[in-house]
Amino acid sequence: MQRIRTTKERARRIDLMYFARPHWLRQWRFWLSCAIPLLALGWLFTMHAQGGQRAFSSGPLSRSHAVFTRQCELCHLRQAGYFQSVADKACLSCHDAPPHQASQAFTPACSSCHVEHKGALLLTTTADVVCTPCHADLHSSNANLQIARAIGRFDGDHPEFSASREGVRDIGGIKLNHSLHMQSLLGLNHTRVQLACDDCHRGAGGDRESWPYAGVQSRAGSAAPDAATVRLSHGTAYMAPPRFVENCAGCHLLDFDKRFAQEQVPHDKPEIVHAFLEKRFSEYIAAHPGEIHEAIRFDRQIPERLAVVRVARDAREWVGFRVEETEDLLWRKTCKECHTLLGGTGALPEIAKSNITTRWMPHAEFSHDSHRMMTCESCHTKATSSHETADILLPGIKTCRGCHRAQGPAKEFAEGRCFECHEYHNWKNEQRVKGKYDLRQLRGESGAGMPSR
Amino acid sequence: MRIDRTHRSWFIGSVVALGVATAIYVPYAMRTPGPSGSSAIGLIYGSVGFGFMIFAGLLGLRKKFPVWRIGRAQTWMRAHLWLGFLSYPLILLHGAFHFGGPLTRVMMWIFTVVFGSGILGAAIQHFMPRMHTTQLPMETIYEQIDHVRDQLATEAGRLVDSACDALDGELSRASVGQLAAAASAGTDWDVTVADGLGFNEPASRQLRDFFLHQTLPYLEQAGARGMALADSMRAHRMFQQLRILLPASLHSTIADIETICEEKRQLDQQRKYHLVLHGWLLVHIPLSYAVLLLGAVHAVMALRY
Repeated sequence: MQRIRTTKERARRIDLMYFARPHWLRQWRFWLSCAIPLLALGWLFTMHAQGGQRAFSSGPLSRSHAVFTRQCELCHLRQAGYFQSVADKACLSCHDAPPHQASQAFTPACSSCHVEHKGALLLTTTADVVCTPCHADLHSSNANLQIARAIGRFDGDHPEFSASREGVRDIGGIKLNHSLHMQSLLGLNHTRVQLACDDCHRGAGGDRESWPYAGVQSRAGSAAPDAATVRLSHGTAYMAPPRFVENCAGCHLLDFDKRFAQEQVPHDKPEIVHAFLEKRFSEYIAAHPGEIHEAIRFDRQIPERLAVVRVARDAREWVGFRVEETEDLLWRKTCKECHTLLGGTGALPEIAKSNITTRWMPHAEFSHDSHRMMTCESCHTKATSSHETADILLPGIKTCRGCHRAQGPAKEFAEGRCFECHEYHNWKNEQRVKGKYDLRQLRGESGAGMPSR
Repeated sequence: MRIDRTHRSWFIGSVVALGVATAIYVPYAMRTPGPSGSSAIGLIYGSVGFGFMIFAGLLGLRKKFPVWRIGRAQTWMRAHLWLGFLSYPLILLHGAFHFGGPLTRVMMWIFTVVFGSGILGAAIQHFMPRMHTTQLPMETIYEQIDHVRDQLATEAGRLVDSACDALDGELSRASVGQLAAAASAGTDWDVTVADGLGFNEPASRQLRDFFLHQTLPYLEQAGARGMALADSMRAHRMFQQLRILLPASLHSTIADIETICEEKRQLDQQRKYHLVLHGWLLVHIPLSYAVLLLGAVHAVMALRY
């Protein structure tokens, strides 16, 4: 039988007062809507009580500033009224920031490049976009601007290094054939010598090992840092310019006369060499007066330049003859092996300046030390094949781009942003900052107050 | 609320707004070393996003005062849905996809839960009402479920009583239906109805036992999880067995009780659906208030610093 329900029965199913009874879902919703916001406020007050304004921080501070997380007012200076903004003078109370260029058109705010509250980063790791707005299309009143006017990202629009561009030649005055020096050479005592790069090229500050091909007097010596070209923080960053006594004297002997078997002329100016020769020959003839009137015959003379056999009348003249003969050999052969000799004003020649370039990229920083795990030839690919002194063996930007990309470590590349090689602040003009805070102020202890800035 | 064609203009508007916001953000983020909420563009994103959040929060107020003539309830609901949806990406753009410090981090996590629960709620409200209609034809007003359940128990008890009384020979308590059954069986008025039904004391006992031990506890208990009759397949088998055991004259009564049990099952199912349909609001609404409160504190403090 089908259930039969009359209209009356159906109507009776409805409890007319149902709306007057509270619904548990609505009740819960109401109480939770009161409790959870209150809970949130309670948490906020607790945070405020425990850590001051830290709760309102917009993110973790950088590594160097993290210690001041609770002292917001160190950077957020109190302005008129309610607001506390970050001003450059807050930064300059601890840091010096030399201007980028003396004639720069404007000075950006510190915080526009060094962005804080972005986590435990280094504030010096600035984004490329802070450099490229100017350098991508540089307008300068300086007509002799030495840098490119359109520089973009390192792995994008960055131009080739100026030294590596087509047609640029090394202006150095020392004649050197790299290719020849990298072959197996005949060294002292008829031994074979195979040079390696670091036999001549080493970091300016860090290496204390002796040079294998140094002269006898400096074989135990070391490469001293060149303070003019090397910053202290880059002790082994740049290669020291090769020096004769440390890198050449082992093979390139400066002996001058068979009467002085092992003795060599000093590697110095012609005037000093001349004085040295006069002194040594004068001493010799004083010790051997019987040789004054001896006629000296030259062995192995060149037929076109047969020397006239001269007999000295006295010791002074004998010294003059010997010095003249020795210098002729030195200037004509020994010195010219590496140096260019100019006419000079008197009897002595003038040696052209060596002009060894110590910094190929004066606007950029580079550290050989950071690249020490690589072989020299992997970057300086032309080193073993270069015959000309004027060849520049610096690797091009393509070599660097093999590892360095703007995406950097996040994309498994070496850092390639601007700051990796370039510094914005001209640190040559750095000035000492005088401290203004005491420890209590820096630690935010109560009642410590703040100095006026 | 079903998200149908009537939402098209809101959908297009939201997509366009999101597209414009993204189109402005991308070059801004590429030009700026550290895009942040404190920049001019960041502040605009923050203000608009927080404005949308406040508007979405006002829906609760609008519902409290349905007689206010400030736009149709449906329009408010659509605006709540789409502006609330837009507020999250705008706040992400405001913070440059960083959750920031302690306050903003907590706020963003709460906001993420609010946003997620809102999306879930919108999906539930879109799909469940149709399921409700197709699967629960015997549904009633949610608040009436307990009341109806009591009535079902009473009705089932009355059916069993009348049938058992007839089987026991109690003419005085025989129902009109049973009398009609007796008449159709060809009996005269001088014989008992029990004779017409077939006097059957064991059958009466069996029916009453089934009612007292299976049907009544099931009908009286809300939810009745784990009980045999809560499972429609098991219930069907049990009623089939009862039909075999009891005389054919009682089958209509058994069918009625089975229908009552089915209705109870649907009411239980309706209770579950209702919990799903409205339970997410237990998360969404309280956390929304919390995020609005913290957002206001953040706005004041961020402007200060």
